This record gives sequence, structure tokens and C-alpha cells, in this order.
Amino acid sequence: MKNYPIWKSFTVVSLVLLGIIFAIPSIIYDENSENWFLKNKINLGLDLQGGSYLLLEVQLDVLYKEELDNFVDSVRLISRDQAVKIEKIDIQENEVVVFFGNKEKIKDIRDSFFQMYRGVTLQINNNKLSIKLNDEYRKIIQDSAIKQSLEIVRKRIDESGTKEPLIQRSGKKRILLQLPGVKDPERIKDLLGKTAKLTFHIVDNENTSALQNNLAPFGKIIVSDMYDENTKYLLDKRAVVGGENLVDAKGSFDQTEGHAVSFRFDTEGAQKFGKVTTNNIGKNLAVVLDGVVITAPRISSAITGGSGIITGNFNAQEASDLAVLLRAGALPAPLEIVEERSVGAGLGADSIAAGQIAAIIGMVLVCVFMILIYGTFGALANVSLIVNLFIIISLLGAIGATLTLPGIAGIVLTIGMAVDANVLIFERIKEESLKQTKVFQIVKNGFDRAMSTILDANITTLIAAVLLFAFGSGPIRGFSITLSLGVIASMFTALMLTNFLVYMYLSFANKKELRL
Amino acid sequence: MFGLNKIIPVEPNINFLGLRRNFLIFSILAILISIVLLSIKGLNLGIDFKGGTLIEVSTKNTSIGELREILSSSYSDVSLQEFGNENIILIRLQNKSNQESIETVNSVKNLIQDKVVEFRRSEFVGPTISSELLFRGFQAVSFALIAILIYIWLRFEWQFGFGAVVALTHDVLFTLGLLSILNVEFSLATIAAILTIAGYSINDTVVIFDRVRENLRKYKKLELVDLFNLSVNNTLSRTIMTSLTTLLALVSLFIFGGEVIRPFALTMIIGVIIGTYSSVFIAVPTLLIFKFRPQDEDD
Repeated sequence: MKNYPIWKSFTVVSLVLLGIIFAIPSIIYDENSENWFLKNKINLGLDLQGGSYLLLEVQLDVLYKEELDNFVDSVRLISRDQAVKIEKIDIQENEVVVFFGNKEKIKDIRDSFFQMYRGVTLQINNNKLSIKLNDEYRKIIQDSAIKQSLEIVRKRIDESGTKEPLIQRSGKKRILLQLPGVKDPERIKDLLGKTAKLTFHIVDNENTSALQNNLAPFGKIIVSDMYDENTKYLLDKRAVVGGENLVDAKGSFDQTEGHAVSFRFDTEGAQKFGKVTTNNIGKNLAVVLDGVVITAPRISSAITGGSGIITGNFNAQEASDLAVLLRAGALPAPLEIVEERSVGAGLGADSIAAGQIAAIIGMVLVCVFMILIYGTFGALANVSLIVNLFIIISLLGAIGATLTLPGIAGIVLTIGMAVDANVLIFERIKEESLKQTKVFQIVKNGFDRAMSTILDANITTLIAAVLLFAFGSGPIRGFSITLSLGVIASMFTALMLTNFLVYMYLSFANKKELRL
Repeated sequence: MFGLNKIIPVEPNINFLGLRRNFLIFSILAILISIVLLSIKGLNLGIDFKGGTLIEVSTKNTSIGELREILSSSYSDVSLQEFGNENIILIRLQNKSNQESIETVNSVKNLIQDKVVEFRRSEFVGPTISSELLFRGFQAVSFALIAILIYIWLRFEWQFGFGAVVALTHDVLFTLGLLSILNVEFSLATIAAILTIAGYSINDTVVIFDRVRENLRKYKKLELVDLFNLSVNNTLSRTIMTSLTTLLALVSLFIFGGEVIRPFALTMIIGVIIGTYSSVFIAVPTLLIFKFRPQDEDD
């Protein structure tokens, strides 16, 4: 081994060994291993292990509209207190404009309103008060809605029994979910598709003309029945108690009522519920879920224990899902699924098998080709290529990267491209061998001259891969990761390992001339 | 029998640049046809960019015709396609809104439940997301071209950067044109393929440019055309070798890698061939526009 520094051999050999050793956990792939070493394996992406990816969008418009409705109610209340007549209320996309009968007290009304809603933009113009939902106010609504939604989604997913879900905010108004191993994405989507806002309202049975004209007086609302759209109820707008006071809910079964959901209130809820049921015996109490009445039983006696059951035409699954929703709490606004990608375990396993076959065959083809063209040197390059593959696998495992189907494609592609650095070196060696006869000088010059080309060529590929990572999403990122790691590993294996192997070979074979 | 490379001449002497006019005309025609195709026929956009629902099922004792009959009674815009083998069927639907999709997937599943062994995958991309994805893909490709231009500019003279970007734009348009003719589905993976092609093609170009730069220093008296020819010839066996090994791996991916990855592999195969061609016949001749020799420049 002429002039080959010991430290360099040592570095090369130990890096190669590390590369092979750290590939072991991913190759054995013991899914549930708790062993500190075997845990450093590649994570399989949802497209390979099966599972669901969901992107949900919080329907903020609903919230903004709700807030505008609140403004209207509050203005009505204030002006009633001040005994000012309201002529007209104009609800626009972003603001509420209230026209008053006279303008004397308009400033007082504005001030009391501002006490209730700090941060809104209020403007007086003659007898007109405009209340505007400005950007800061919207942002406050948005942030708290997303935060709450995240929490509720997390609770619902946990209740559904999904293992290791990933739930995170994505952008301004979206929530990203990755649910590995989910077999029935439809059920999850059902769970997330409901706001689950539960409220209890007293039913107004006296004012029948309002129902006939389908026109609710101030302070009342008309709500249809869950099972029959044509059955309508006139309810007090103010809920006597709501889902936020629930501490527990379970699916239950009752001989006479069938499947039902039994619930329990917290102290505050129990007090409110007890008071209302005591004062309204004989009236009906409507249970409203997401804007429809599930049931509206007659209050036959005061319920002071703080618990009860909700009956409806439920089956067992529906009752238990409703219980899950009630336990987790209501979403501040509806969620809309804007993107879904679900892969069954069968397709995932097929993809892995196909990817492995493609990688192995690609590898064999490239190796045979290299030996055909470069003979012994080709065989040395093949050793580098195989080590290269081990290094990619161990790096993926070590950084805990996720392997996706495009990621496998990236590895196969890397197999083809990784020999490039070796080819560049060999071609340089070939040229150098025409200029001189000293074997080791030829090899040294070959490597030195190829170096800058290898760097330039690979850095441009890395630029493309990094941009792909920055702009890509999900599985595509997996591709840019394996491609980048492959490019980096191929530079190492060509410039260090092939170099080492070539020197070793030339020393041991004691070659006096080199004709590549 | 090993070491076939001994047969290949170390310094082939092929007059590539002499053919440059023919290839230039060929490429200009190809690009024009590609642009016309892209604006008239367009690309076969997958659900990533068009939005919609896709369901892949494996079936038993049924035919694609029977499934089509069941589904088309409820959906007018449903399309079915065999995917790899006759038991695997891909169902595509156009949805109008996000809300619809949840019900669509459910009701499709119910309609064909008893014909299906496994629901292998279901994908839904809403209209807002698909336009965002398209925009981001476009952004990624543009930024990649700009970043590569800047890198080449820093490492070489700017004329090389110009040549490289001309070649890259050529590769991207030519590849897109072929994808349009072949009706290959254009998805997120295709964007990844296009970016990788850009990386690969530039890699090829850089290796030749590197040699041009070296030869410019070495042979100060040589005519530029001859010098470029020499550089291409110097690097020829490397250009061919690397393209072949890459193609070997890609062909293996195309044949064995499974149905989902096939459009990606096909796009890459097309791109690698075009990228290799353009490095030799487009990028290098473009340098002839500039009458440069480092020592000729006054600054």
C-alpha cells in the first residue's frame, strides 16, 4: 500500500462499517422493537404501511358570520335598554350597519357596545352605526378557533383508538392529520365532519303563528327535526345549558328507548339544568345537535341529579359515536376535508415488494454493466455502489426519515446515478494512462482531476432536490430526501471508498502498468 | 471479455458540432410542437392538479364493464380503468365541492361493496388544494431553474449559465410535450420527475462545460468549434455510460416498480434521454453564440 495514509484507510473502513451496522435495524425491521439500537429504523410512510392523510380546513366564514349575528343581538339589546328604535339592520359580508330612529343616543349605544366587544371598528355617520369586523379581530377569532379545533380533533382521534396519530396546524386555517394503520377512514371522516355542538332549549308551544309563517320573533329560533325536515320547533334562542357543561357521555341501551346516549353534567350544568327543569314542568325541552333537534321530550319532573339520557333512532355505533363526540366537545366551527389520501395495507405491502424487486434488479443490471465495461475496476465500483445503498439506508434510519413510495423511486434512481462519480474518475484515469506510465501517479491524477467535476455535477442535483423538499409535500419530500442522501453518499463512496479500493487493488496485484 | 471499454476509443473524434444546425432545427421544431400541444391538448392532469376523487379497488368475479354499469347509473362523470391487471380497477370521479366528496366515497363504496375484495386506496383532492399544488409545482420548477442558473453563473462565466438554462428549458418543454402526446398522467410525482430531470440534465451539461473550461485554458489557439468538439468527445464515454446506468435503473423501476410509480419512471426515462441529447447538441452549441475566450474579454 504505497503512500496510502493509515488514518485515511482507518476513516474509510470505519465509515463503511458504521454505514453497514446502522443499516441493520432497517433491514431486520422489527416493528415493535424497544431495543435502543433496533429502534433506529426507517419509518414507513403512509403510502407504504397503509393509513390516512387528511387535510381539514376550519370554516372560519361561519364563525365570522356568527360573530356578526352576535353583534346584531347585542345592538338590539342595548338599544332596547336605551329606548332607541332601530329602523333597519343591514348585515354585510364584513360589517353590520344599524340605522337608528334618532341619532341622539347613538354615541351612548356605541360606547356600551364597545364595552362588550373591544377591538371592533365602530363608525357613526348621522343615524347610522357601522360595526366592522377588522383584520385584528378576525385574526383573534381565527387563532382561537384553530387552537380549539386542534384540541378537539386530537381528543376525537384519541377516542377513536388510532395509534400514533400526527395532528398539526398547517398554514393559516388548516389542520393536517396523519393516521397510520387506519382501516376505516370513512368513520374517522364522519367523526371529524360533525361540529357536535349540543344545546338544550325550551320549546315554545304557544306561539303557533310564528311556526306557520316560518318567521321567528326576536329571541326565538325555528329548528327542524333531525329525522323529518318538515317537523319544525320554535325554541328559545338562548340555550339553557350546553355541551360545554358535560363531563361524561356514554352509549347506553334501554329496554324501552333502545340505543341512547347517557350523559352527566358538571356542577354548574347540573344546577342550571335542575333550575330550568324545575321551573318549566309541562313544557318540552329540545336537545339540539348541530342545528337540528334530536329529540324534544316533555319535562315531567324536575331533574336535579345532573344526568340524563338522549334518545333518538340510534343504532349502537351511532350512539357510541355521538358519545365520543360529546365527550370530546364541540368544534368552534365546522371542518371541511379539503384533501384525503388513504392507502390500504395491501397496496402498501405491494408497493414495498415492487420497490424492492425494482431496486435489486436495477442494482444487478448496473453492476453487470459496470463489470462488462470496466472489468476489475467496475467490480470495485460495484462494492462502492452496494456500500452506498447501505449508507443511504442507515442515514434514513439514523435521522428518522420517512420512506415513501417516491422515496423508493429515489433510491432506485440513485443506484443508476451513483456510479456516475466512479465513471468520471475511471474516464479520467483512462486519459491519464495515455500520458504517463507510473501507475500510482495515473490514479492520483485521475482522482484529483475528476474531483471538481464531481462536486459541480452533484451540487446542481442537490439544488434541485432541496427545492423539491421546500416546495413538495408528503410523499414527494420522501423522494427529495432519498435523492439528496444518495447524492451525498455517492460522493463519499466514489471519492473515498473507490479510491481506497483502487489503491488496495493496485498494491496487492502489484500492477506495473495500467490500461483501463 | 470484461473491460469492454478498451474497445471504445479513448479519444473519439466525432464532429458533433458540425451537425448542430440539423439538431437545432429538430429541437426548435420539437419545442414548437410541444408548445402547440400543451396549449391545445394540454396535459393529462391527475387529481392532484384537477381535483376529484380516485378509488383503487381489487375485485372478484366481476368485470370493469359491470362495475361501470353499476356506478354510471348514479354518477355521470365516472371513469374506470384497469390498473396493472384486470382485477385492479381505478375509479375516478369529478366532484364539485369538498362536502360532496365524503359522501361520494361512501356511496361508491356501498354500491360496489360486494364486488370488491379490498379498497386499496382512496384519494380526494379539493379544488382549492389542487390549484395550490399546481402553483407550488410551478414555483418549484421555476425556482430550481433560477437557482441552477445562479450556481452555474458563480462557478463558470455567465455565458455557460445561459447555455445551461437554454438546455434546461428545452428539456422541460420537450418532456412536457412528449407527456402530452403519450397522455401520461401528470401528477405531483411528475413534478418531482421534471425537477430531477433538470438536476440530471444540468449534471450532464456541467461535466461537459467543465471540460470546455479546462480546454479553453489548455488550448489557447484552437478554433472554438474544434475546442467544443474536442470537449464533447473527451467526455463522450462518460456521458454515455452514466446515461446508460441511469436508464438501466429506471427501466427496472418502470417494469418492476409497480403501477403507481410507472408514470414517474416513464417521465424520467424520457427526460434522461432528452437531457443527455440536449447537453451535447443544445447546451454546447449555444456557447458558440458568444465569441468568448477568457483572454479575449477586456474586463
